[in-house]
Amino acid sequence: MTKDLRTSNNKFIDQTTRVSFKFNGQNLYGFKGDTLASALLANNIHLVGRSFKYHRPRGIMTCGSEEPNAIVQIENDPSLTEPNVRATEIELYEGLEAFSQHCWPSVNFDIGGINNFFSPLIPAGFYYKTFMWPSKLWMFYEYFIRKSAGLGKSPTAPDKDIYDHKYLHCDVLVVGGGISGIIAAKISAKNNMNTVLLDDNPNLGGTTIYQDNDCYKINGNNSTRWLEKEIESLNSFNNLTIKTRTSLAAYHNYNYLLARENLTDHLNTNEKNSKIRQRLWKIRAKKVIIATGAIERPLIFNNNDRPGIILSSSIKKYIDYYGVKCGQKISLFTNNDSAYETAISLNNSGVIVNSIIDIRDKSNSPIVKQAEKLGIKTRWKHTIVNTIGFKKINSIEIMRLSNDESSVVDNKIKEDCDCLGISGGWTPMVHLFTQSGGKLKFREIDNVFLPDKTQSNQTNIGSCNGDFELDDVLTNSNKYVKEFFNISSSYYDNLDIVCSKEIDKKNIWLLPSDKPLGKTKPFLDFQNDSTAKDVKLALREGFKSIEHVKRYTTTGMGTDQGKLSNMHALGIIAETAGVKMGELGTTTFRPPYTPLTFGTIVGRNVGEFFDITRKTPIHSWHVENNAEFENVGQWKRAWYYPKKKENMHDAVQRESKAARDSAGILDASTLGKIDIQGIDSSEFLNRVYTNAWSKLEIGKCRYGLMLNEDGMVYDDGVTARLSKNHYIMTTTTGGAANVLSKLEDYLQTEWPELDVYLTSVTDHYATISICGPNSKKIVSKVIPDLDLSDNKFPHMSFKNALIDKIRCRVMRISFTGEHSYEINVQSSYGKSVWAKCFEAGKEFNITPYGTEAMHLLRAEKGFIITGQDTDGTMTPVDLQMDWIISKKKYDFIGKRSLYRSDTIREDRKQLVGLITDNPNEVLEEGAQIVADTNKKPIEMLGHVTSSYFSPNLKKSIALAVVKSGKKLIGQKMFVPMENKTINVTITDTVFLDKENKRLNA
Amino acid sequence: MLNYNSPINDTKNYSEIKITEIEPIIKINLRGKKRDFITQIGKSLTIIPPIEPNTSSGNERLNIIWLSPDEWMVYSNEKINSIENNYNLEDKLFNEISKVNFGSVTNVTDQWVMLNLKGEKIYELLSSGCPFNFNDFKNSKSSVTQTLINHIDVIIHNKDIYDLNLFVRRSFSNHLWSWMNDSVRFL
Repeated sequence: MTKDLRTSNNKFIDQTTRVSFKFNGQNLYGFKGDTLASALLANNIHLVGRSFKYHRPRGIMTCGSEEPNAIVQIENDPSLTEPNVRATEIELYEGLEAFSQHCWPSVNFDIGGINNFFSPLIPAGFYYKTFMWPSKLWMFYEYFIRKSAGLGKSPTAPDKDIYDHKYLHCDVLVVGGGISGIIAAKISAKNNMNTVLLDDNPNLGGTTIYQDNDCYKINGNNSTRWLEKEIESLNSFNNLTIKTRTSLAAYHNYNYLLARENLTDHLNTNEKNSKIRQRLWKIRAKKVIIATGAIERPLIFNNNDRPGIILSSSIKKYIDYYGVKCGQKISLFTNNDSAYETAISLNNSGVIVNSIIDIRDKSNSPIVKQAEKLGIKTRWKHTIVNTIGFKKINSIEIMRLSNDESSVVDNKIKEDCDCLGISGGWTPMVHLFTQSGGKLKFREIDNVFLPDKTQSNQTNIGSCNGDFELDDVLTNSNKYVKEFFNISSSYYDNLDIVCSKEIDKKNIWLLPSDKPLGKTKPFLDFQNDSTAKDVKLALREGFKSIEHVKRYTTTGMGTDQGKLSNMHALGIIAETAGVKMGELGTTTFRPPYTPLTFGTIVGRNVGEFFDITRKTPIHSWHVENNAEFENVGQWKRAWYYPKKKENMHDAVQRESKAARDSAGILDASTLGKIDIQGIDSSEFLNRVYTNAWSKLEIGKCRYGLMLNEDGMVYDDGVTARLSKNHYIMTTTTGGAANVLSKLEDYLQTEWPELDVYLTSVTDHYATISICGPNSKKIVSKVIPDLDLSDNKFPHMSFKNALIDKIRCRVMRISFTGEHSYEINVQSSYGKSVWAKCFEAGKEFNITPYGTEAMHLLRAEKGFIITGQDTDGTMTPVDLQMDWIISKKKYDFIGKRSLYRSDTIREDRKQLVGLITDNPNEVLEEGAQIVADTNKKPIEMLGHVTSSYFSPNLKKSIALAVVKSGKKLIGQKMFVPMENKTINVTITDTVFLDKENKRLNA
Repeated sequence: MLNYNSPINDTKNYSEIKITEIEPIIKINLRGKKRDFITQIGKSLTIIPPIEPNTSSGNERLNIIWLSPDEWMVYSNEKINSIENNYNLEDKLFNEISKVNFGSVTNVTDQWVMLNLKGEKIYELLSSGCPFNFNDFKNSKSSVTQTLINHIDVIIHNKDIYDLNLFVRRSFSNHLWSWMNDSVRFL
């Protein structure tokens, strides 16, 4: 560290605690409280990175989140490394490693710097224009363009850090802990409102906390002293929560806001272990007060991007807050009074201020007078026409502005300096206001966009609302907050405020040079290397909308989102196009305000919490028996149960064969179940299903198909009639929640006259399905008292029974075509009943089968799976299920649509079976079906929906949807694959036991 | 004899927070709009179902929590015998309400799993994954809310100061249990 660049001890930086860090491999140290930027500056390091397009050397330009240049890669660990971290925001910690990015082999010697020499050849739009031709070479270009694109390196290993989310509800949220935010928070808390105050810095106070200038007094005290006491007084409020190191990322409708809190980024590496790194706060506030301040603007002139050129207010913060001199001989360039505050601070710290170059004719404000009194030289009505110094500025060239300010006159003055402070005025931070849907207005006098109309319950105060002078900030903030809270008085009503007032204002968006514009490099967007020339070129090429110019030149599209560049781009466009800035508008401000890590967005939804999982009551048995699971919706369903050395195919073949040959057992607990009660239950079912229900006998079950209003199949399942006005409906696993919502919606909005009540009982029951020729024997062992004879207990009926002392319901229904029983029992006994059935079935080699074998077994019978064989475009007629559409019923959901011209077309896609010529060749699900492979373009008639090798039929079988499929049965078709074409024959959908003999076997 | 298996069957004690699964607890869903329905519940249970949204009523034995303008859930304060699932209360209500077409009575004992949360940090735990504003809720005993915790539907019944009963669908209960216990370490 260069001692000469540190001022004496100050209260913000602990100069007794050294903090070691590395930058580009060099061992350096700073002090506790430093940012990486302040520590680098203290070590006289200005060159931090290279620019995006021209690889020009770039240095630290600001002291906050608006930093465009000093973005670095931190840490070396492949799981913890992070690109594009602003050196101005990262707090120094022991062991921090930072690297320059976008340079090779080093920031000092960067091969990419050659781009700078070719810069006249690569203006805005270069890529769009050049790589359009010849089009076939795009793949070649793309490789190189992609290789050179991007900033920094992404981590290559999973993130080890922990992130979290939390919800917070408050009466008042104050965003910004500067002087206006602090008085707003105090008024709020004093009025008994539950208040939260956020600030992205480690300490409250904004710029006033290090102002320390006697031009600014409140109630007779220096403004800094006064504010310190106010901050201290906040501790007495129990209803005020203060969160520092917390930046607001997004402001959504209805006062829903997202804020990121940095919890451990500032801690030493060994202190971070097992702690949450960042937390995303999801905040609902009744009222929001935005006090986010303003950002200083740069000035746009030739070569305004060199390392050592820093915003004037940032130089002041580095000297007054961090105790770091940005240089020993500093020049300042300004169009307003702020630079004079910096000059006074520098002078007080022993830094030589060469001169202040001011484009204005004069200024008589007290702060200017104070600077003059200190002997600081001011060059009125002058501008900088060039800066010199490749890796760091070493001198500037100054000329007088012409009377009309469009050019420069007189002799060029050369001034040596090691740092240049620039100040182009102030831009209120209206990002959050506009994110919330607020509309802006334009104030001509100082060229600022300000909050205007808003729909949300918020107010904007301080400099983000256009108040830049201390007295305006305090008086108006107090006034607006009182109005916002509808109170008549506050603690801040009669403050005695003394401050310097800026009277003389002048702004020139693009400062003139002694060279033609084409020979200069006046940078607008420092991160994306777009210049004023690029914006003018875009306008010449016909781009008029600010949104188009932004995208063509990439101005404002970097990680800093153009915080420094956007206003100048707008100003230059307005001037060039001859329109008013207020009419031109702004580009859209989108969240997040500053980049968020993916970790913060994701929170703890990683690993086992990546997605919610649902488990059946029998889940642990499946785990114990080596099941592989598949996700069905959020359910974990047993997919298949591989035995030693079995792959999935082998296991599914074995399970399917066992179910047909003897007995299989399936956990069907995931099926949706809805309890339906009420006088009108039968009528209700008549309306929601295509078939009739009124005559279903008590104790019987019926399969139903549910349609959407458009006549397309929506869901299916078996419903049992428990009593006259009581049914239990089953739905598909994935459709359960939607079906219940849809039916409830119909009852509440379309059929309120029906006396029907629905209750979900999906989780209440475990469902154990036993199928196969020996299923009856097994069930009779488990429930010996139950008469299972076909007369007493026929297919599509149910019986209530007891297993031990536990009530259950046994349904004789089948999804495999086999003689089957489904035992429904309260979930708490599900695993026990399953185990009992399994034990009883051992002598019959009962085999647990998973969802894959279940799919195969039902496909052999041609039973559809909604969502697999249907896709929201299939009617029951398309599925060859005409039999399920009642011709007698007055109405049901979707009935009218079944008679539309489109739904009665005969050439619609229809469900058919497919048999491959080669019985061992299994089709791919989703494969296309064609009739003529020579026709170009090839006509695709349909696709395969389900496909398996059937161990029972010993051949490949498939279901498919094919145009006019019903008429094509027996015809040969082709399934073209990547390396071959498979010959198939269209068949009926039922491959096995067409006579349903097995159901009653 | 069949074994009774609750999904969690555990208690976790942390500093200022205790989470316990309390099962088997009988739970019955009641739905109805008719005046007779409300009257009959009052007669059958000697508790009037709350009409005010998101509230509950109860006595030493039972609680009735409001779920929607025509829906309530009754649950008991005492565990039931797990040897058999022959619930007298269900049968009584079914016969007196459903069978006479006043409304519906559905046993949802195993549809929901009841977790009890006690301690001063329970609301801090919930705020890790629940968008609901507990600021007023925590001070109003007997209040009820239906909300999401880490995207999972739950019903929360404020039994007493820092004492909640939380109902989660059985199939989600393992996931929620794991998530809550993981969340506790960051409080």
